[in-house]
Amino acid sequence: MTMEKRLVLTGNSAAAEAAALCRPDVIAAYPITPQSSVVEHLAQMVYDGDLDAELVQVESEHTAMSVVQGAAVGGGRTFTATSSQGLALMYEPYFRMSTLRLPTVMAIASREMTSPETIWSGQQDAVSVREAGWIQMFCESNQEIVDMIIQGYKISEHPDVCIPVNVCYDGFYSSHSISGVSLPGQADVDAFLPSYSKNYSAILDPNKALALDPMTPGNLLMKYRQNHLASMQNALGVIDQTDQDFAKKFGRSYGGLIEEYRCDDADIVIVTMGSMTGAGKDAIDAARDDGIRAGLIKLRFYRPFPAARMVNALKGKKAFCVMDRSVCFGWDKGSMYVEILAALSASAEKYSYFSAIGGLGGADISLEDFLQLITQLNRIKNTPGEHKTHWLIKQ
Amino acid sequence: MSYIDVIKEREDLVSPGISACAGCGGELVLRKVLQVAGSNTIVAVPPGCMAGAGVIGWNFDSGMKVPVCIPLLDNTASFLSGLSHVYQRKGRGDVNIVAFAGDGASADCGFQSLSGAAERNEKILYICYDNEGYMNTGYQRSSTSSLGSMTSTTPIGSKTAGKQQHQKYMPLIMAMHHIEYCATASPSNMSDLIAKVTKGLEASKNGFAYLHVFSPCPTGWGYDPNLSIEVARQAVRSNLFPLWEMDSAGMRLSYTNRSPVSVAQFAKNIRKFRGLTDDNLASLQALADARYQTICNLAGVS
Repeated sequence: MTMEKRLVLTGNSAAAEAAALCRPDVIAAYPITPQSSVVEHLAQMVYDGDLDAELVQVESEHTAMSVVQGAAVGGGRTFTATSSQGLALMYEPYFRMSTLRLPTVMAIASREMTSPETIWSGQQDAVSVREAGWIQMFCESNQEIVDMIIQGYKISEHPDVCIPVNVCYDGFYSSHSISGVSLPGQADVDAFLPSYSKNYSAILDPNKALALDPMTPGNLLMKYRQNHLASMQNALGVIDQTDQDFAKKFGRSYGGLIEEYRCDDADIVIVTMGSMTGAGKDAIDAARDDGIRAGLIKLRFYRPFPAARMVNALKGKKAFCVMDRSVCFGWDKGSMYVEILAALSASAEKYSYFSAIGGLGGADISLEDFLQLITQLNRIKNTPGEHKTHWLIKQ
Repeated sequence: MSYIDVIKEREDLVSPGISACAGCGGELVLRKVLQVAGSNTIVAVPPGCMAGAGVIGWNFDSGMKVPVCIPLLDNTASFLSGLSHVYQRKGRGDVNIVAFAGDGASADCGFQSLSGAAERNEKILYICYDNEGYMNTGYQRSSTSSLGSMTSTTPIGSKTAGKQQHQKYMPLIMAMHHIEYCATASPSNMSDLIAKVTKGLEASKNGFAYLHVFSPCPTGWGYDPNLSIEVARQAVRSNLFPLWEMDSAGMRLSYTNRSPVSVAQFAKNIRKFRGLTDDNLASLQALADARYQTICNLAGVS
């Protein structure tokens, strides 16, 4: 094993360094707050000759995703990154990237959606495109960003998956926060991640003339969708396996689809996603010190949704709350909460539970907020059923 | 090889059974472009008449003998940018990367991605077949529809008749991107068209090449299908569609129009112009005169 490099990096620089280690053929990205320094960092690497990749400096996110799509059709490994309005602008080729079943990794430094005007953190951007056929995962730390970009390519390019991957991390809280990061050595990444050309070649090539996406009748289209959904289910296993393979090689495991923190004997559980998890874990520790049997489940993969593991992790608990950094407009709830209730289905009635919404538009989700949620859960834990949605709004 | 030999001898790489309308200018041009480009070519045809006519494929079969795809309406140039970069990277820059897109996919919805690819000088030959409207979806207005044109979204109403604005003059906008090669062409001047496709393909090995081709549409414009070439010829001769090319050496006039016909003459047998007012005609005539003069000035022709 070659030496890992120990560096102090922002989340964005961590994403750029990790992407470079994966030897992309083509990088196309358009700067947007809070993702911009990903593009800047990669441009510097290419301009310094430290990274051998085609850097396509595009005029929009729509074009960034289109360039990446054309490059993948040509048989190249690709990388891009975006946030919020940029993701919304690229929705058209974004959806097609997954339905063409083209592997890639795109980092999302997640940011609230306008209106009202905002540039700060929130997970509404990525969560809103959860039905566009991509795999979506959310990171807690800068180290996790590095490790998941590398794992992201492995998962995306797995022959049983062939689905593009979003590695999401909270804008500013992760994208701009600096922390110590272990950057794997190039030789180890090369050994972990086979070269792209080993499994993928050009789809459009004059040596084998074919038509890509001719007009397709409904019954054949449904077969494509059925295959896509089946591959999403395959990904559930591939994600957990990749976590284990990565741990063997690099010594870091994140639990795959979900991470359970002090859940074994817990009565009450908070479900989190992304950078808020750190404060959540501190709150769990504090509650434990006070004799409250509290635990935390970090949802890592939002698509595919790890229903079975989530249901299993909640088994035997009395109460839970789902802490969302986005809303589900169809319900008076957070987005992740709705998914978890769908997974629990009728078995939900055994629990005392509620949806918590906070951290929108860059607002902090603090230790005190989590302690408040724990107090509330402890109060209602013997009153099964759904309780009122809890908004973390400070006056 | 003379252009006659190219047309006679080179293989037709487009399926014989496509469903383009009789007299379609776009289909004619597409077939000629591919005869020049040959089999070492990848083609992107966004949604529009040619894609609708089945040149991508239909009924589980391919519509061309070369690899072909349908990008999105608005990302042809950016999709091909990515493809071109990978081919350059693999040392396969000999492959022709060709876009064949209508005016909607080029001048309207796809304009941003086209302008971006041109500014980056991507190694692509981009051909816009301009039939001056969204003909595939039922003859709606586009930004290249000319003043007074009757379309399904600029009808002849009891209050307002036809398109109320002049067309956007795309080829000069593209020339101002400092690209490798930029030219206009018409199926009425086939020798010139074949030469420009050849030059465009060569130029696309070094950077962005753009060809704007007049594409007469009997179905959408309302004239007899056997008159397509004549309509194209009249467009050139009226100076509404001057023929020129531009590269690093500058702009050159490809057809010196010594005896222009009037715009009224060009428009008189085309049904889409049936609502033209005298003011419209005068305005179109002034536009044609000014356009030709602008090109002459840029080409240094006195």
